[in-house]
Amino acid sequence: MRVPEILETEVDVVVVGAGSTGGMAALSARQAGATVALVDKAGIYRSGCGAAGEDHFVAVLELGEDWDTPEAFLRWYNGLTQGLCNPKVVENSFLRHIRWLVSYLEDLGIPMRLGREGDGYIRTGSYSAPGRYWINFDGRDLPPRVAAEARKAGVAFFPKRAVTDLLVEEDRLAGLLAVEYRTGRLHLFRCKAVVLGTGNVCRMYDNPSGEPFNLWNSPFNTGLGHKVAFEAGAKVANMEFIGFNITPKNFGSPGLAGLMGMGAHIVNAAGERIVFKYHPLGEKGPRWALCQAVYWETKEGRGPCYIDARHLAEADMEHLLTRLLPVDKKSFNDYLRQKGLDLRKDLLEVEVTGGEIPAMVGQLSGILVDESMSTTLPGLYAAGGCALAMGSLSGSMCGGITAGRSAAAFAARAGSPPEPRRAHLEELASRALAPMERKQDGISFREFEDKLRQIMSRYVGVGRTAKGLTTAIEELSWLEGMVPRLQAADGHELMRCLEARELLAVSRMIARGALVREESRFGLSHYRGDFPEPREEWHKSILQQKVGGSVEISFQPPYAL
Amino acid sequence: MAAVIDEECCTGCGACEAACPGDVIYMDHERGVAVVRYPDECWFCCSCRLECPRDCISIVFPMSIVP
Repeated sequence: MRVPEILETEVDVVVVGAGSTGGMAALSARQAGATVALVDKAGIYRSGCGAAGEDHFVAVLELGEDWDTPEAFLRWYNGLTQGLCNPKVVENSFLRHIRWLVSYLEDLGIPMRLGREGDGYIRTGSYSAPGRYWINFDGRDLPPRVAAEARKAGVAFFPKRAVTDLLVEEDRLAGLLAVEYRTGRLHLFRCKAVVLGTGNVCRMYDNPSGEPFNLWNSPFNTGLGHKVAFEAGAKVANMEFIGFNITPKNFGSPGLAGLMGMGAHIVNAAGERIVFKYHPLGEKGPRWALCQAVYWETKEGRGPCYIDARHLAEADMEHLLTRLLPVDKKSFNDYLRQKGLDLRKDLLEVEVTGGEIPAMVGQLSGILVDESMSTTLPGLYAAGGCALAMGSLSGSMCGGITAGRSAAAFAARAGSPPEPRRAHLEELASRALAPMERKQDGISFREFEDKLRQIMSRYVGVGRTAKGLTTAIEELSWLEGMVPRLQAADGHELMRCLEARELLAVSRMIARGALVREESRFGLSHYRGDFPEPREEWHKSILQQKVGGSVEISFQPPYAL
Repeated sequence: MAAVIDEECCTGCGACEAACPGDVIYMDHERGVAVVRYPDECWFCCSCRLECPRDCISIVFPMSIVP
């Protein structure tokens, strides 16, 4: 095909993804003196999992209680992740910036203090934490406010651009290629450093409602960062650990932290509280233990399971229904209303979601980064949900600050980026645009993705075996062969075809890692029926790296404090 | 069903299109209204509803979700 003209922009730093990580990364890199482009396939002002704002902000404020210190948090976090997430990463991002970030958001006018007493913070605890690290706040305006600050600081915005590839010339980062998909124009960004803030990875597994976009995290997060980093030679870690959540029946919505934080219970069909059977902390245990409880109760014939919040005091219920649930998911109350449910009187039927590579407190997998948020490829940085770092809104924002500053510092000492080879660029461009060129006998992104979800749900979900994983790897490899047949009728479908490629790339990482890890760990996250218990020799991270045409596996022992 | 835009109410300002994180909403420039072009891909996140200056957007769940 004839490759159309390619637009060019040259800056010091390109930030990919304008969600909670990317917004702060772009602002921080710009404030550190770099010229910055912020690129996103959506708009810039509302993007990523927190597009419409969130209700919880994990924070250590050092206000006097013994759990409210960096040391106590780090001790807990290292236990929660079993040492698989580098504590220096958490220390140099979240713990370094969190107090400043909370006051910065207050200065921007974000309501952080919803309480009437004392300092005004309402803080709750969830997921086995030793204290009340979750500030209940009203984050609906947070994404556009931070984006406006980035724009004011001079960050250049490039919305509606789907990034297709990172450009690496002789082991040096040269920039990246994107498609302005609504017009079909190609856009080359030449730069010295890149920050990936592309979040978690969803849409790889069937979900109970059968609606692939009806997910608790953003269905538009499809693994771009993981894919391009891996292809450029960066290492990824622990991809076999997928995450689950408990959501209202058929409704992909977060809200569990709020419900558990306020003291709701999880019960089975007989009305028995079930989580204590699976974890000594019950509903205050880690998220994976809650999922395990609902999963097995249902599988073993004691379901359906419910969240019971009927015993909450009226003030707590009011807070939950007006401040937490409808902020965490803006359509939560629409769901309750259209179902005719009143949490004061009714049980809320819940279910375990499909898997995803999650972005949360205690996430275990992602692109491997050091404490400067540098990947193993010089000039390439990653933070938030796509990195093996602390996710969640506040963890991602703090990681973005560290990554943005590191990228600006790298750019300041780097020479001009190498010139991308024209022939290579045109090859990548023509591959990216191929679905638009195909006019017949193609397959739609939806058909392709449905096949992907079928394979992943059957063999790489809960209950894995060597035999099943080997089958999955073969079938995913067959699906890779179908990529050239993807067909798009318009720019929107082209963007979805690019997402389908990303989903496949991440799915292959998950299946590969799951076959290597011959044990079970973190409940449903990696449950091997042929190795049903954790094994001490496997208490380590599994790293994957593309070297030449093949993938090398290596290991990283758990981090001690 | 998904996000539903009341066309009588919509002035075609484009705020919802710009806010949608999924490229699900497009402007119909001829009719001067916003259209939910890909309802199957709606995340029910309500970014559009938050940004609509005239409160023209409601959420209607498909029957696979409610009841």
